[in-house]
Amino acid sequence: MKDIFAGKLVRLSAYDPEEMSKAYTRWNLNSEYQRLLNSSAHRIQSAKSVAKWMEKEIEELSLASYFFSIRTLAEDKLIGELNLDVVNWPGRDAFVGLGIGETDYWNKGYGTDAINVLLRFAFAEINLRRVTLTVFEYNPRAIRSYEKAGFRHEGHLRDYLNREGRRWNSVYMGILREEWMEQNNNAQSAILGAGNAAGDGG
Amino acid sequence: MRDLFRGELVRFTLEEPETRAKAEIRWQHDTEFHRLADGDAARLTSEKKIKEWSEKQAEGFQPERYSFSIRTLAEDKFIGFVGMWVDLIHGEAWVGLGIGEREFWSKGYGTDMMKLCLQYAFTELCVERVSLGLHEYNPRALKSYEKCGFRLEGRTRKDVMREGKRYDSLWMGLLRAEWSQMQSGDHK
Repeated sequence: MKDIFAGKLVRLSAYDPEEMSKAYTRWNLNSEYQRLLNSSAHRIQSAKSVAKWMEKEIEELSLASYFFSIRTLAEDKLIGELNLDVVNWPGRDAFVGLGIGETDYWNKGYGTDAINVLLRFAFAEINLRRVTLTVFEYNPRAIRSYEKAGFRHEGHLRDYLNREGRRWNSVYMGILREEWMEQNNNAQSAILGAGNAAGDGG
Repeated sequence: MRDLFRGELVRFTLEEPETRAKAEIRWQHDTEFHRLADGDAARLTSEKKIKEWSEKQAEGFQPERYSFSIRTLAEDKFIGFVGMWVDLIHGEAWVGLGIGEREFWSKGYGTDMMKLCLQYAFTELCVERVSLGLHEYNPRALKSYEKCGFRLEGRTRKDVMREGKRYDSLWMGLLRAEWSQMQSGDHK
């Protein structure tokens, strides 16, 4: 069995608002995590209001937005959140947002694995042409991870953020389908077996 | 100025729900029109219901669904409609059209409407193919779609029963490359 939602260290699972809102509320008490993830001011929200918001988002789910939770394969532990928003269907471009809330799982390849799984979904399942993300200049770990996954620097918004007494750029990164296909030698997208891929015309 | 919504005989508009309702309650009593446009049984819907339905339709934007009303360029008369339904994942659009005002049948209006749909689907929606279905007993539509470049791709045998006889449904398709070639050729 091949599962397009499973990687080497993590798998993407469905969003459960009750479970996710609890984890999310806990993660967001970590101001460093907030800084890395968001450009807005840090706020405190109750798990209840977060769950309500998530339930609404899921209800309105369409082909344009995808929410996943990230779980480890080894412990089946919920460690992060991932979402993909198709912002432009004619151009087939989507924005991705990724956070590993459990700090024990930072710097160990979990985020990179999750983004690799997401790229496979984006290019091999919903057939996008490109995937875009923004990342903050003060988050070199994330930038390195996205580079490893194949993202390229496409530009930046100068002095976009004001954090800790200075201004920082917001960096735009993107990856095209052709680049992803080449880098994966098409192997990652092969879900159909050789017999099936040959066609069902017989 | 280049207007994507203007052809040689017709233009795309968005009619007020009231205008649409008034025309559609008239068209639904033209059973031949219904037979040609639709495989379902003829039904009657009140003017009020049609108005409500088109008001609701006008409310929200869905990236899967595009519909327009059609007016003639010469008389500025509301004569019909087109609809496009997009399969976003696979980049395919299904198209359907109808001309309710029968004095505009067989005069190239439908072909002009379809050409505008194709231009919209390939250049704005950026799909890779456009598909449609029609009834075997509608050879006029078949010829019009062929003129637009569609190829007959298959048929579902005897799936429609009309007036005691069974008829096939026909499926046609046009690929982007084929359409592009027509645009650069003498078809333009």
